[in-house]
Amino acid sequence: MRHLPHRRDLLRTSALGFGWLALADLLAAAEPAPRLSSDPLAPRPAHFPAKAKRVIFLFMHGGPSQVDTFDYKPKLTADDGKPLPFPKPRVVSSQTGNLLRSPWAFKQYGQGGAWVSDLFPNLAKCVDDLCFVKSTHGSNSRHGGALLELHTGSDTFVRPSMGSWVTYGLGTENRDLPGYITICPTLTHGGVNNYSSAFMPAVYQATPLGNAGTPSDRVGVPFVAGTTPRDQQRLELDLLAELDRERVTTHGHDAALESRIQSFEMAFRMQSTAPTVQDLSKETDETKKLYGLDDPATANFGRQCLMARRFAEVGVRFVQCTHSYKWDQHENLKADHGKNAREVDKPIAGLLTDLKRRGLLKDTLVLWAGEFGRTPVAQGKDGRDHNPHAFTVFLAGGGVKPGISYGATDDYGYYAVENKVHVHDLHATMLHLLGLDHTKLTYRHAGRDFRLTDVHGEVVKAILS
Amino acid sequence: MLCLRSLAPLIAVGFFSPVPALRAAPPPDAAGFFEKKVRPILAERCLVCHGPDKQKGGLRLDSRAAVLAGGERGAAVVPGKPEESSLVRAVRHGDELKMPPKDKLPDAEIAALAEWVRLGAPWPDSQVQANPTPKTGDRPFTPEEKAFWAFQPVRRSDPPRVKAAAWCRTPIDHFVLAKLEAAGFTPALEADKLTLLRRVTFDLTGLLPTPGEVDAFLADTSPNAWEKVVDQLLASPAYGEKWGRRWLDVARYADSNGMDENLAHANAWRYRDWVIRSFNGDMPYDRFVREQIAGDLIPGGTDRDRADRLTATGFLVVGPKMLAEDDPVKMRMDIIDEQVDTIGQAVLGLTLGCARCHDHKFDPVRTADYYGLAGIFYSTKTMRSYGVVAQWHERSVATPEQAAALAAHEKVVAAAKAVAAARQRPALDAVAGAAVGTADRTRLQNQVAKLEKARPPAAETMAVEDDKGQNVRVHLRGNHLTLGAEAPRRFPRIIAGDAPPSLGADRSGRLEFAEWVTRPDHPLTPRVMANRIWAGHFGAGLVRSPDNFGRLGERPTHPELLDWLADEFVRAKWSVKHLHRVIVNSAVYRMSSSAERGGRSAESRTTIFGLSVPRSAFRDPRLLDPENKLLSHFNRRRLDAEEVRDAMLATAGLLDRTAGGTLLTVGNRQYVTVHRNYEGYASTRRSVYLPVVRSAVFDVLQTLDFPDPSVPNGQRPTTTVPTQALLMLNSALADQTAGAFAKSLLAPGGDDAGRVREAYRRAYGRAPTTLEVEKVTAYLEKSERAADPKSSPEVRRLKAWRGFCRVLLASNEFVFVE
Repeated sequence: MRHLPHRRDLLRTSALGFGWLALADLLAAAEPAPRLSSDPLAPRPAHFPAKAKRVIFLFMHGGPSQVDTFDYKPKLTADDGKPLPFPKPRVVSSQTGNLLRSPWAFKQYGQGGAWVSDLFPNLAKCVDDLCFVKSTHGSNSRHGGALLELHTGSDTFVRPSMGSWVTYGLGTENRDLPGYITICPTLTHGGVNNYSSAFMPAVYQATPLGNAGTPSDRVGVPFVAGTTPRDQQRLELDLLAELDRERVTTHGHDAALESRIQSFEMAFRMQSTAPTVQDLSKETDETKKLYGLDDPATANFGRQCLMARRFAEVGVRFVQCTHSYKWDQHENLKADHGKNAREVDKPIAGLLTDLKRRGLLKDTLVLWAGEFGRTPVAQGKDGRDHNPHAFTVFLAGGGVKPGISYGATDDYGYYAVENKVHVHDLHATMLHLLGLDHTKLTYRHAGRDFRLTDVHGEVVKAILS
Repeated sequence: MLCLRSLAPLIAVGFFSPVPALRAAPPPDAAGFFEKKVRPILAERCLVCHGPDKQKGGLRLDSRAAVLAGGERGAAVVPGKPEESSLVRAVRHGDELKMPPKDKLPDAEIAALAEWVRLGAPWPDSQVQANPTPKTGDRPFTPEEKAFWAFQPVRRSDPPRVKAAAWCRTPIDHFVLAKLEAAGFTPALEADKLTLLRRVTFDLTGLLPTPGEVDAFLADTSPNAWEKVVDQLLASPAYGEKWGRRWLDVARYADSNGMDENLAHANAWRYRDWVIRSFNGDMPYDRFVREQIAGDLIPGGTDRDRADRLTATGFLVVGPKMLAEDDPVKMRMDIIDEQVDTIGQAVLGLTLGCARCHDHKFDPVRTADYYGLAGIFYSTKTMRSYGVVAQWHERSVATPEQAAALAAHEKVVAAAKAVAAARQRPALDAVAGAAVGTADRTRLQNQVAKLEKARPPAAETMAVEDDKGQNVRVHLRGNHLTLGAEAPRRFPRIIAGDAPPSLGADRSGRLEFAEWVTRPDHPLTPRVMANRIWAGHFGAGLVRSPDNFGRLGERPTHPELLDWLADEFVRAKWSVKHLHRVIVNSAVYRMSSSAERGGRSAESRTTIFGLSVPRSAFRDPRLLDPENKLLSHFNRRRLDAEEVRDAMLATAGLLDRTAGGTLLTVGNRQYVTVHRNYEGYASTRRSVYLPVVRSAVFDVLQTLDFPDPSVPNGQRPTTTVPTQALLMLNSALADQTAGAFAKSLLAPGGDDAGRVREAYRRAYGRAPTTLEVEKVTAYLEKSERAADPKSSPEVRRLKAWRGFCRVLLASNEFVFVE
């Protein structure tokens, strides 16, 4: 703030003065409308006290298969090759054949005895911290629609993403960093619309660090790196502040001019803060190993997870890591699901372990999900089609009951049948964990009050701790 | 409050069907069966949502009469016919409708319910009731709905009397001043000439005035100097580039589909250029709208005119679509919905889309109105195919010459292919007696490929075509799987009245709709556009929700002025340029943005919160009218995204003013991502010509609040965030423009003070103050000193000047219009 005019100077030079304007702002704030007038990202109280303060969303793009990962179906193994004994859905994305057993063995882990397939040996050790929701379901059988529904609540229209809703609802705790960050986001299947703020102001949109095509060691906040040396830039900013300040004294105070002057100082700080937070070199070797940074197979997603922890640590409200479009095994299920799981298993287990030992897991909500699951029936010989009718997600930390499994699918894992949790319910629950009532978190646009959950969504109370 | 558009597991049960009048006497044990097996199921499983407390879907299941009456979709039970009873079907979870929505009932309970229906749905102590009445449909309008301001005819009233009549230049001023006087405010002083020129030049053309334009205007002391400048600006091609872009915001224009399958709209630019040309040519707004809705159906004119009118209907096609939706029927209805919603917001200021699933909760728009309009667009071909990945419709706009050239080319290609094919066959080679080697064949094939590549572009444009005229049925809760009654094609009844237009099977009704929308006596169309034009000059409309004139929108701050403008607009044959002139010639438009009034310095003061404050400040509009709704002063505004970039390029001498055409480097219907079209953004053309790629909007523009091009947007937000500052400091654009600006300053001879003056003249149109020259000079010295001593003096000097130029381009004075 050292480059701002002194309050007294302003009072001398402006007929009414800063304080008077602040009073005017105060009085204006009594009106409901101008919430965005001053600082749209300032931290805001939740609707009610909550355990989770922030979210880390681990998105598995493509649709991991529930029956090959966490939703153990012995009957699927027993009836391998037989026809599905009940109808397939009315709308499907591809033609499928008979039941196909999982090529992986399942074992029980932890005190809760959670079933995990051999795909996730490291994550298996964390199951007592996880809450599996095995009855998750969505509405759309295509990647684009399903991604958009998972990220925005709508598979039909452009709507603000869940991170935008959270940032809009709670603001952010660290003004030297963006409040909502998405690391290596996908460019397809809705692309930016999966993290955009749609009709909300752009400040609620995620700041993307790179994209799905960028290795995670080469990503950064847009425009944060420039060609001007820091000391030169300091001189430029000093001159800018002087000239802008001069303008304020001759043209009178204005909140918009004032906040723009401040934004340059904030930007200057962000230039140091953001790269520092992203810099993983100061982490111990043990930590780096924990996330799999020492292994080429796991290093890329490991870095995403480690960055996510570091962002969470310094108060970023919503961080998304994306394991890009890899999980879509219409064929080559055995080889490719194996490869994919290997790339994320250790990093995710590392993240959970690290968050827990640092005391961050208790107020950080971790969500792991794909956009849909896969069919228990075969596509070709070694593949599975999209299946929005049942998939497994897991949550951890921030007010979630640890070590449980909620909901169930039918004998083969095709349809969610017991304690079904729609994506809308998942959203409602996520907001609830953050202290936000999904029916009250509204944004008025084009004369209507919009919600993340539209007219749907029920908080899944049974998984709250 | 909420939009009920997206579909969930559905709630109510069954279609509307007649209830059998006769009721067979139940067998003796039926009562027992009901009491023992059925009533407990209903009580435990159903009544929470379908009982005395809640009636989801309008359905109650606590009496036989209620069950037979059913809900919004008619009877839940057809006695004796379990297969036809939606209650039974719903509990079986076999259809779209699944009840209970979460967990399926145990098989025994489902069987019991089916058996009960088969027995005739006996319910011992229940009364028979008359046929139910539908709970949705064409409800009559309430007096309150009919009286809503926006649906009343436009009424031109005389400009009100004011005390300070001498201040007024135009009738507009009377309307504004009357309200200011009533509130005890006085209008701000007139802004100085330089401020006015900067303001009007940005407002009308999106560009900053050149130093030459500034000099000429400041030197022109003739009484009509202002009017002359306004005429020049309106005649500049830059005008259409600025105001065309404003319409493109509303028309959710984009060069790619976005959504799930981000395919290139390689022909969308034709629509964009048509919009720009139309504004430049001052096309009457009624015609502008008619052509966008039904240009393909309007006869007459030259080939070029017909091509233009086809292109105009791109408005209906450029919306975002889910092209990989597995359900083609849903896809089709979603596309129609997007069209109806866009037309509603863009042209009528009505959120028609709200009535897709239910009668509009706030405005008198019924589902029958919605599906009446939906039928018109159902009878319109917007798509070529609905299979995944679906294709939007395009039509040829080739001139006869282009068409002939293409046909000729096709003939050449076909001939070349025939030759190549012939040579492929060894038998033929033998017959011909010529030994054609593999190399030769490859050469031939390459030639064919080359020829095919050289195909003249098939001039196509995104456009619609009329289809067979047909009505659609109301989609209960917006779901295409649960259809209600047929909704005859018609226009919203609250305005159009009860007599429906006669739209047969021979046409869609789009032309009739376009004509109805642009009737001179339409209460909404002229008001909505007049308000948009006003908002373009004052930063906010008289109705501050420009896309929603409905009950949840804002009320006009100056209703009489809005009507006066709307009437003036229609009287001037819908000339947009006329309305600009009327507005910018007013005294209101020429006010200073400083809210301070003159002559208050000697007034008595009081102390509040330790601050000494003039007593008159209690009447200060900044306190009493913080949003400046009464227009006591001009609203200072930040330049919009395109204006910032264009002004930076122009000041640096880099702006390429070439008009029209496309910079998209991806073929039609090809996938686009940031990578594949990025080179387009490096162009120095005006921002309006940069491709608008949904899901990959140019980050410079996006950072500066460019709106999401997937939704109509008549009012861009203005945010102030650090990433914008980072953009001004570190982006390639900032480097490029500041560098070029600095180089051009350093080129000619003269002293540094002169260079600073020149820089100020180009960036701000004014001379620097002595203090400013001192500060800048001090900076330049410090910066050169601080620079890397290893670099040459020239490099250090250039870097210092580049820094200074960057500061000018990043400053508040540069990016705000006073």
